[in-house]
Amino acid sequence: MNSENQPSTPSYTITCRMSQEAAALERLCQVVRIRGFKIARMAVESAGEHLDIALTLEGTRPIAMLQAQLEKLHTVLRVDLQTPVSAAISKTA
Amino acid sequence: MNGAQHILDAFHRHGISTVFGYPGGCIMPLYDALVDDVGTEHVLCRHEQGCALAADGYARASGQLGVCIATSGPGATNLITGVANAHRDSIPMLVITGQVPSGLIGTDAFQETDVLGMTLGIVKHSYLVDSADDLAEIMDEAIDLAQSGRPGPVWIDIPKDVLLAEGRSRPIETNSANSQPTARTDLTEALAMLRTAQKPLLYSGGGVSLAHAEDNFREFSETSALPSVVTLKGIGNSGKHSAHHLGMLGMHGSRAANRAVDECDLLLVIGARLDDRATGKLDTFAPNARTIHIDADAAEINKLRSVDLALRGDLNGILKALTTELESAPLAISDWQAQCRTWNTTGGFSAADNEEPLAPITGPAFVRQLSRIAPADTVIACDVGQHQMWVAQHYQFDHPRHHLSSGGLGTMGFGLPAAIGAQFADRRSTVINVAGDGSFMMNAQELATIRRYNLPLKMIILDNQCLGMVRQQQELFYNNRESQIDLNDNPDFVAMARAFDIPALHIERTDQIRRGIETILAYDGPMLLHVAIAREENVWPIVKPGASNREMIDETKRNAKQNREQVA
Repeated sequence: MNSENQPSTPSYTITCRMSQEAAALERLCQVVRIRGFKIARMAVESAGEHLDIALTLEGTRPIAMLQAQLEKLHTVLRVDLQTPVSAAISKTA
Repeated sequence: MNGAQHILDAFHRHGISTVFGYPGGCIMPLYDALVDDVGTEHVLCRHEQGCALAADGYARASGQLGVCIATSGPGATNLITGVANAHRDSIPMLVITGQVPSGLIGTDAFQETDVLGMTLGIVKHSYLVDSADDLAEIMDEAIDLAQSGRPGPVWIDIPKDVLLAEGRSRPIETNSANSQPTARTDLTEALAMLRTAQKPLLYSGGGVSLAHAEDNFREFSETSALPSVVTLKGIGNSGKHSAHHLGMLGMHGSRAANRAVDECDLLLVIGARLDDRATGKLDTFAPNARTIHIDADAAEINKLRSVDLALRGDLNGILKALTTELESAPLAISDWQAQCRTWNTTGGFSAADNEEPLAPITGPAFVRQLSRIAPADTVIACDVGQHQMWVAQHYQFDHPRHHLSSGGLGTMGFGLPAAIGAQFADRRSTVINVAGDGSFMMNAQELATIRRYNLPLKMIILDNQCLGMVRQQQELFYNNRESQIDLNDNPDFVAMARAFDIPALHIERTDQIRRGIETILAYDGPMLLHVAIAREENVWPIVKPGASNREMIDETKRNAKQNREQVA
C-alpha cells in the first residue's frame, strides 16, 4: 500500500496547568494513554506550586473527550486545546 | 496528635463510625491508635479484597462513605480489585494504606510497592503523604472528594514514619456543594423536546441513587408517566409498582425494554453512561431518537453518543423542576404508553414457576419465589454470572439501594463481602447474598467474618457445578466448545458452612424452595442455603457481545437454529 495514500493521524496541541504533587505527570500521561492518544511531544515547566505542560498528541478519537477526562483530574486546574496541528499545517500549505 | 490519631480524628469529625480493614507492618501505628479509640468500629475481614468489597457494599447500601484500611505491599495490592470495582461503579470510598518509611521508599524495602503508581487508573484521586502536618487537611479533602460530584474511591498512602510523627491540626473548609445550577433555558428546551416527542422513553441508571435523588426520580417518573427502562445499576429506580416500567435493557434485558429503545423518538438518559452492555452495538442503538442526557459528570456527555441536549447540575433540582412543569401540563403520549404496556405483557421478563413438585429447580423460578417471600426492604447482594442476571430479571426491587451488584467491573466474589458491608450499614435489615458456586469460592474466607460478628445475613448459592455464564457463551458463540468451566469438584458447601459454625441447608427440588427460603429467613443468625440447579440452564434472552440489541437470542430461537442444523 502506498503510504502517501494513508490518512495521517490527527494531531493536537494542548496546554495544561496542574498542581505539583506526587505522580502528577504519571497521572496525566496515564489518562492520555488510556483514552487513546499518543504523546508525540511533551514540555514541562515548573511554576511555583504548579506545573505547566504542553503536549502534542496524536489520536483518532475526539480530542474533546480527552480534554473532558483531563479536566476531571482533581489536580488539573486548566486544559486548553490549541488549534489542531494538522489543520494548521493544511491551512498554511 | 500523631499521624495515626489525625486519621481517627478525621473519622470522628466526618461521622465515620465503621471501617473495614486488615493490619500489617506499616499500618501498625494506626492499629495501635485504634486500641484507645472510642467511636470507630473496625471490622476485621479475612482478606484485604474482602475489606474493600465490604466497604463498597456498606457505601452502596447506606449511601455513605465506605472506608477500608490495609498495610503496604500485599495488603495494598489485595485491595486493588475492590477499589477498581468501586471506581467503575462510582462508589464513594476512602482507602488508607500504610507505606514503608519515607527513607525506604524506592529501595525495594520489605513489603514495598509503588501503590500510588499502580493505582492511578482506578481512583478518583490519590495521595502519598510526606508530612504528618498535611494529614488532617488531606483527610478532609479526600473525604469530601470521594463523595462529591461523581463519587469514587480516593486512596491515601501513608509512610509509617508519617503515621508516627506529630502533626499539626489544620482542617480545611471543604465545599462539596460545587455543582452549577442548571440553566433555565436548558430545562425549557428539555420540556419542549419532551412535549414534541411522540414516543419518549426514560432511561435511568445508577446515577440516580449516587445523587441521592431516588425520591425525586420516583416522583418525576410517576408524574411524567414516561415508559421507562433501567440499567443494571438503575434497577429499583422506578419501584416495583410502576405501570410504565419495562425492566432492564441491554444484553440480558427484556424484549420489551430493548424494543422500546429501538422504537422511541426521544431518549431521556438520567444518571447512566450508555455502557456497552446496555447499548449493544452503538450504531443501531435507539436509531430514531433524539437524546437528552442528564449527568453529574461532564466527561460522560457525548462520550459514546452525541446528544441533542445535555443538562448538568444537581439532579434533585433538575428532576423537581421538570416534575413541577409536568404536573401542570401532562404529556399526551397515551398511544405510546399503551404500546409499551402491550410489549411488556408479551416481552417482559417472565419465567415459569416450574410447579411440578419433584422437578429440578431453575434459577429464574427460585429467584421469583425469593422475591415473593423475602421482606419488602431486603437487600440482595449478588455476585457475577448467571445468577446475577436472573436476580436482575426476576427479583422485584422497590429501591435501588436494595440491589447491590457489581456492574462496571463485574467482580466475581463481590457478593459475600458486599453483603457483610450492607449488614453493617443496617444491622436490623434482611441481607441476602445470592451467589453462584464459582463466585462464592472467590471470597469464601469471609464466612469467618460473618461468624465472628454473628451477622444475621443469609447466603444462597445457586450451584450448577460450573462457570455458567462462560459455559453459556461457549455454547452459543464458540460452537459449544467447553473450556475450563467445569466445577464438579466443588466442596460440599453445606459442610463448609458448618465448618465455620454456620448452619446450612441443601435443596434440589421445586417443592423444597419455599421451605428452604422460609427456613433461612426465620433463623436468628447467619445461615446458608445450597440450591442445586441444572448445569445446562441459560440466561434468556441474550445479545451476542458486540451485536445489536435487535439481535436478541432467546431459547425458542436457539432451539430452532439447532433443529435446522440437525436437519441439514
